[in-house]
Amino acid sequence: MRFVHALLYFFREAAVNLLRGWKVSLLAVLTIAVSLFVGGAFLVVSGNLSGSIERWRNEVRVVVYLKPEATEADLRRLAAEARRLPGVTSVEPVTAAQARDRFKDVFPGLSDLVSGWQDEPLPASLEIGLDPKAAKSSWQESWRGRPEVDLIDDDREWLGQLEAAVAVVRAVGLALLGGLLGAAIFTIASVIRLTAYLHHEEIEVMRLVGATEFFIRGPFYAEGFLQGLLGGALASGALYGVYQLIHARSEGSLFSAVLALDFLSPQQVAFLILLGGLAGLFGAVVSLRREAL
Amino acid sequence: MIQFFHVTKKYPGGQSALDDVTFEIPRGQFVFLTGASGAGKTTLLRMIFREEVPTSGQILVNGRNVSSIPQAKIPYLRRTIGVVFQDFRLIPRKTVFENVTYLPRVLGVDLNGQKKLAYQALRRVGLAHRLNAFPPELSGGEQQRVAIARALINEPDILIADEPTGNLDPDLSWEILRLFLEVNLRGTTVILATHDRDTIHRIGRRVLTLDHGRLALDQELVGTDPPALDPLANLEVEEEVEVPEAPADPHPPGPPLPTPPSLPRRERGESEPPEEEPG
Repeated sequence: MRFVHALLYFFREAAVNLLRGWKVSLLAVLTIAVSLFVGGAFLVVSGNLSGSIERWRNEVRVVVYLKPEATEADLRRLAAEARRLPGVTSVEPVTAAQARDRFKDVFPGLSDLVSGWQDEPLPASLEIGLDPKAAKSSWQESWRGRPEVDLIDDDREWLGQLEAAVAVVRAVGLALLGGLLGAAIFTIASVIRLTAYLHHEEIEVMRLVGATEFFIRGPFYAEGFLQGLLGGALASGALYGVYQLIHARSEGSLFSAVLALDFLSPQQVAFLILLGGLAGLFGAVVSLRREAL
Repeated sequence: MIQFFHVTKKYPGGQSALDDVTFEIPRGQFVFLTGASGAGKTTLLRMIFREEVPTSGQILVNGRNVSSIPQAKIPYLRRTIGVVFQDFRLIPRKTVFENVTYLPRVLGVDLNGQKKLAYQALRRVGLAHRLNAFPPELSGGEQQRVAIARALINEPDILIADEPTGNLDPDLSWEILRLFLEVNLRGTTVILATHDRDTIHRIGRRVLTLDHGRLALDQELVGTDPPALDPLANLEVEEEVEVPEAPADPHPPGPPLPTPPSLPRRERGESEPPEEEPG
């Protein structure tokens, strides 16, 4: 019960200090908000890219493009062969005419590009669905040498490259978050040290009446924690605002059709806010660790 | 009980603040500590609540050796000692209530309990009606009484006051001193540092005189005009207050306070220091 009273006292004092020195506190809150906003933005981008990659991996396919001289009979024969290959879940032969119509359906604004040609502008192809868990088989290499086959496009190749890019984005995000969070912790530490200095008379009185070090430092720890929480909440709010803006503008576009656009989960938002709180608490502890107060 | 055994305090640079000081103050006694500025009064007082540590010698407060007390236990010692300073040390942006309830807050007393204690303490100093005022709104005398209420709120065993009337006019000083005497009458040991010799003569009581860090005199004085004291002053009628018997005075009244060092030093409390409290 005594501990609860002490905690209530810490947070009450911290709230009063925040309001009283709101300009300085705002600086600390904003620095932590900026760092968490950047970190959160990278989290959103990498999370969405990872989600899309995962989705694409589950729909992984190999597209075999045929040469222009290949006939529809070649297409049907190759399709029949493909159905017998290991790990193949579906085979859809697409004639050159079907490919042209599909292009017009997907990109109606660009339909002029595929109209008016003497020959079919797009090649016939085989869309071969693969079991995502199946190992990469050797049939593709042998198919590449066949006279009807022009090109084999395996989704898994560029998905691997995209995954590497996402890993880079994540690493850059973490590095930026770390650096900015370090700066924010430094700012909070400075603000807390300044607040402690402004309260030195009160600290002296508390020490004289028999307050323990924990009781004296508690309000400053609570203040750092609150600043961090506020920064985290501000960053989450700003992030959500920007997300909504982008979401509204990209609705119905190719971008939204290709890439999943989800916001952070409630757990991730809570983590972001808590991370801010912990960073603030850490800043307060560090700032007062070597302070005699 | 407060016991000093051959206490010496030297600051870096060799300047001596206290030099081989030995005395004993029994529980419930009222003691004036006097001497010229720089004689070592403040240093001596600060040693009792472990704001300073002696260079050599031992200090025992209620049987506890404060010179070797662990850092973590200092707060618990200080909760038994009330301290009043000449400059009051009130926090201007806190109300009177907040200023006097630091210790109850530290002790985890709930808000209602804090209000009750604050009211009682402020009533004792006649300021119960200024609970919500801020220190800058109070007169000097009122601020000093708030500082006294803060020191008294936990019914301390010992009350230490360093020049508590130094900034006050004579009437207010007399009022404050009367308050200290009433507190003492209820059993609290009071040590009051002052260089106001007229007041000491008027009130009487035991007087320790420091001179350049040495205990030059330790004597008992009979007051020329001691105030009539009411041990129940400012206490609520419905309260059951245990008023302790005035402690038996171990020091019979001595002659009026002379100018040191013409009078002989009184030899007291020079026994061997007892063993340190275990733990």
